[in-house]
Amino acid sequence: MEPAVDDPGVPLETRLELFRLVLLQRLAEERVMALYRQGRISGSVYTGRGQEAVGAGAGLALGPEDVVAPLNRELACHLARGVTVAHVFRNFLGKATGPTRGRDGNMHFGVPEKNVFPLVSMLGDLVPLTVGAALAFKRRGEPRVALTFFGDGAMSTGDVHEGLGLAGVLDVPVVFVIQSNHYAYSTPTERQMRVTDIAARVEGGWGIPCARVDGTDAVAVYAAALLAVERARLGRGPQALVATTLRGHGHAAHDGATYVPEELRARYGDPVERLAARLRADGLGEDEVERRRHAAADEVAAALAEAEAAPAPDPATLEHGVWASPL
Amino acid sequence: MSAEATLLDAVHAALRDALLSDRRVFLLGEDIGHFGGAFGVTKGLWEEFGDERVYDTPICEEGFVGAAIGAAWMGERPVVELQFADFVSCPFDAIVTVAAKTHWRSGIALPLVIRAPFGGGVRGGPFHSQCPEGWFAGEPGLKVVCPGSVADAYGLLRSAIEDDDPVLFFEHKALYRRLRGELPEESHRVPLGRAAVARAGSEATIVTYAAGVDLALRATDGLDVEVLDLRTVWPFDEAAILESVGRTSKVLVLQEAQRSSGVAGLLFSFLSREAFELLDAAPVLVAPPDTPVPFAPELEDAFLPDAARVRAAVEELLEY
Ligand SMILES: Cc1ncc(C[n+]2csc(CCOP(=O)(O)OP(=O)(O)O)c2C)c(N)n1
Repeated sequence: MEPAVDDPGVPLETRLELFRLVLLQRLAEERVMALYRQGRISGSVYTGRGQEAVGAGAGLALGPEDVVAPLNRELACHLARGVTVAHVFRNFLGKATGPTRGRDGNMHFGVPEKNVFPLVSMLGDLVPLTVGAALAFKRRGEPRVALTFFGDGAMSTGDVHEGLGLAGVLDVPVVFVIQSNHYAYSTPTERQMRVTDIAARVEGGWGIPCARVDGTDAVAVYAAALLAVERARLGRGPQALVATTLRGHGHAAHDGATYVPEELRARYGDPVERLAARLRADGLGEDEVERRRHAAADEVAAALAEAEAAPAPDPATLEHGVWASPL
Repeated sequence: MSAEATLLDAVHAALRDALLSDRRVFLLGEDIGHFGGAFGVTKGLWEEFGDERVYDTPICEEGFVGAAIGAAWMGERPVVELQFADFVSCPFDAIVTVAAKTHWRSGIALPLVIRAPFGGGVRGGPFHSQCPEGWFAGEPGLKVVCPGSVADAYGLLRSAIEDDDPVLFFEHKALYRRLRGELPEESHRVPLGRAAVARAGSEATIVTYAAGVDLALRATDGLDVEVLDLRTVWPFDEAAILESVGRTSKVLVLQEAQRSSGVAGLLFSFLSREAFELLDAAPVLVAPPDTPVPFAPELEDAFLPDAARVRAAVEELLEY
């Protein structure tokens, strides 16, 4: 396994934190898939397997006052913001004390107190919204940045086009992280767009600087995201980066992804193992790497136990909070 | 103050006073800056308040309504102008999917106002005359306001901007320069969700809003008929309707949206559930036919409710 890059700008403690984040996403999602198959999670389940490094790297690149709107594949981004694994599980399990109090499931949640906007299913919607958050920062002269993610599939939506256009015209501190993972559900990127060089489109079409990064390399993603975030913060306008990966699972738990050829799978490394290899190359002993895997597994197990013990929502509360100020 | 103020003046004044009183308020829309907006509502505001308060946007309703939501998330109080209410179909998703559901899902309040000129009578044809308020009425999390008088336009807009929920604020474009009245004091507020009796009466109640108010008043001149102006069409003032209908025992709903669209369906549902025993006659609906809004004067005049038709329907109801 080729190790993640040895970027001198990414200190060991950051690499270790990235390792913790990708491990937690990996293990939490494995639990979620198992629970789903056992019928203990209702609805549907989406994972970001193989893409953990993108949410982790971009999430960690943000400052505490920055805001983010993650999607389904970026569980680690929530964790980077300080959201607990138990809180994530409580949403999957529809618990009263979860982030949506049982009103929405799976990764469809946000955590306002951690500056995380709740995911909205309709692809593209979060792009203009993030531009608006960045506009608020610009108007108030606050050194804050807004960041969101979208996929190669969402790239075809009008909202993404309008959002990127508006970001440029308003010249706001926003960062777009594009998850280019070969497929939008079953549709390959080349059936999604004629020009498949997404970075070239973003730079040429919308005038937004766009870095290209290997999305299976957490160190590289973090370094690229940090650069983009800091440029946005310095007032250099919207920034983007395209992180290339391969979606590891199907679109959702029901999708076996039989349309993904094996040769393609063979081209992609595992972000968790690439980072482990990096840490070993950095001098971390195998026992230390293993200790961290076990710590993450223990955290996930404890989080699940905590979430399962949480109360179910009370149907009597169903109509609460429809309006912020009811008439 | 001046008795010569128009509804447009009132909207302009409300925007200006809101900009003056709260730094968080800013305006966003197409051609609203230097040009002053398609109807001239924002004329002079960009000159007075500058680039950071009055933003001209590209033609991207999904984009700038979405951006307004994001800014509201961050505690700003954006006021969006749609050039015509018809274009609200473009950011429908941002409004109904994102703005309407966010508080219920996550507790994040989204104080934003989307203003839009709506309604017919100006020969705008099918894409510049619609009454889209009914697309949003009944939608949990939204508030829908349609002023029917100059003073209410001011007071309702100030309240909408100060409200913590997403508010759709539909201004009837045929009333912009036709309706006149006194411009209220800066402190004037009209609470959202409260109807007003535009004219008291005892033999029947006309429930209406926006251009319907003036029309109902003209059509029933000399009759002992109450005109109830809903003002907020969603959520509407159920208590005021029951109170009025309880006194008059007869009700007519007047709307400019097509008969099977709009707010009328909600009102009839409510009346049949809650007012059945109060009524001496079946409720009556005066509304256009189920067609798009036509262009040619002969067609649009046939389409829109007019005083003669309202009068005839009221007289028939009174005779029942
Ligand atoms: C507007 C809209 N259309 C369709 C869908 C259903 N849908 C959800 S995810 C998805 C594929 C998205 O692909 P991409 O943006 O590349 O992200 P990925 O799933 O690969 O992370 C589709 C079609 C949706 N959520 N929103």
